[in-house]
Amino acid sequence: MNAIAKKTKKHDIHKSERRTAQLFIALPVIGFCVFTLLTLIAVFAFSLMDYNVYREEFAWLGFKNFSDLFTNSIYSTAFFRAIGNTMFLLLGIPVGMIVGLALAALLQSRAIKKCNKFFQVLFYLPAVTSAVAINLVFRYIFNPEYGLINNLFNTHIAWFKDPWLLKIAVIIKNTWAGMGGNMILCLAAMLAIPSSYYEAADIDGASSSRKFFTITLPLITPTLFYMLITGIIGGLQSYADAQVFAAGENGAQTIVYFIWVYGIKQGKQGLASAASLVLAIFIMIVTLVQFKLSNKWVYED
Amino acid sequence: MSPLSKALTPAQKARKAKRITSNILVWILALFVVFLTVFPYFWMVLTSFKDRLEAMAIEFRVFPEVFHFDSYYALGDQDPSFARAMLNTVIIEIAVIPIGTFVTALAAFAFAKMRLPHKTFWLLFLMSGMMVPYAALMLPQYRVFSQIGWVGTPLPLIIPGLFGNISMMFFFIQYMKSIPSALIEAGRVDGASWMRIFVQIMLPSIFPAIAAQVVFWFLGIWNDYFAPSIYLSGSSWVTLQALLALINDNMQRMPDYPLVMAGSVISSIPIIIIYIVCQKYFVQSLAASGMKE
Repeated sequence: MNAIAKKTKKHDIHKSERRTAQLFIALPVIGFCVFTLLTLIAVFAFSLMDYNVYREEFAWLGFKNFSDLFTNSIYSTAFFRAIGNTMFLLLGIPVGMIVGLALAALLQSRAIKKCNKFFQVLFYLPAVTSAVAINLVFRYIFNPEYGLINNLFNTHIAWFKDPWLLKIAVIIKNTWAGMGGNMILCLAAMLAIPSSYYEAADIDGASSSRKFFTITLPLITPTLFYMLITGIIGGLQSYADAQVFAAGENGAQTIVYFIWVYGIKQGKQGLASAASLVLAIFIMIVTLVQFKLSNKWVYED
Repeated sequence: MSPLSKALTPAQKARKAKRITSNILVWILALFVVFLTVFPYFWMVLTSFKDRLEAMAIEFRVFPEVFHFDSYYALGDQDPSFARAMLNTVIIEIAVIPIGTFVTALAAFAFAKMRLPHKTFWLLFLMSGMMVPYAALMLPQYRVFSQIGWVGTPLPLIIPGLFGNISMMFFFIQYMKSIPSALIEAGRVDGASWMRIFVQIMLPSIFPAIAAQVVFWFLGIWNDYFAPSIYLSGSSWVTLQALLALINDNMQRMPDYPLVMAGSVISSIPIIIIYIVCQKYFVQSLAASGMKE
């Protein structure tokens, strides 16, 4: 009798614990359902309709928004241009990674070991500034008439007029903005390498460049991969570059800028929703690839 | 010491000289990088003190001829004023972060330390949201928020944040798993409720993680631009970054670089102070984000 009572009491305790736990996760779950799940369903519904903002009218279109996006030259030119620009700007990611790696290696060098913290704080500084402020100051520095770069070198490079120069300017700016974050990630990965590896290499008389390429680099590949993937995911969503830095110039219009122009400015919500779904699917694929590959890498180790 | 160093063989001397030159090179390189990171700030500050026309001069001049404070005064004449925009930003920070962090930590506690049916399912369910870009969700949200009259108010930026932050939740779960369960058991034996255990035992033990994540969230909201520019442009609730971009948009015909640079300086100062004060949290949580994946 007693034993059964005890058992049911224990059962009750676990039941109330489970109830409480469910309650504790309720808000994030509700938030996710409302702000992500329902919204995603709505985006899908939007993409199949033509919604006229001014007349508040819906019309069923099927997949016409999608086919317009890719085949109707009124939209597809801008959409493909946005995709092309966004992809080109992704080239900045490996550049940023190399800079981050170089800075982390620089911080590790014996010569500045004592002032390590000082340099680390300063190298990371660009990462805390807002994208808007960074875009504004670089917009001024790159200004074709009186910008610092043209003034200093006495050149007249029209950074904002030429679509390729504009993209290169964006990459330079993003490399500056990203170098602190990239450096910290590389540094953390480097510091996690057991020092015994290097000691063993020292005994073998390996040079520091050899140590870098045979020990450091292979052991931090998971971090580099992580940086690449998060960089791609972030880069696919870039918006301030197009809006603030390039002030809407064709040469740097990105996918998200396209969504903003059509969805919010011009009220073509159906078309913009279709574009945002294409972007979402793309990002999901990249994320899933990361998931699969990083698991594989952890096991191979 | 000195007799010893005199006794160096030529080969040792050569090696020492080589080491010194390489040390000097490393220093030069490091200082050059410092120059690169600091220079845009330097340029921002100097430009903010220049005259409007001086900032557009063709000839190259580093320092302003006379230090003008006009641009800083002009920030107050914007509509709304820069001070108001800063207040708006702070209001959003204060409205979102305490509640949002509490909700997030509470959910993380349930995942890390409590019996929860279908735990893995819920975890994956919430995690799946992290791969949906905001740009994909923006349009329906904008429509709903505009229909219920929230556009032009800070509510679209506050309400979603109150339901917690999923990436922050994962960080907390990891951290909480390292807190010994014995502490919680002891609380249970004493008859404390789960909420009490969370508030009195768990929250204090994960303080470093909370501090790190709060600093990051603060920074994220402070520097956020996309959503504020959509919801608040042209309203008196505009945030600092959205106002700054707006000023830049409005001056396309008549550039006023000292004004936007002054705005950039003012909006950057609080962040740089926070960064310098909370420096160790930045490094810790950033490093953790890269390592744990």
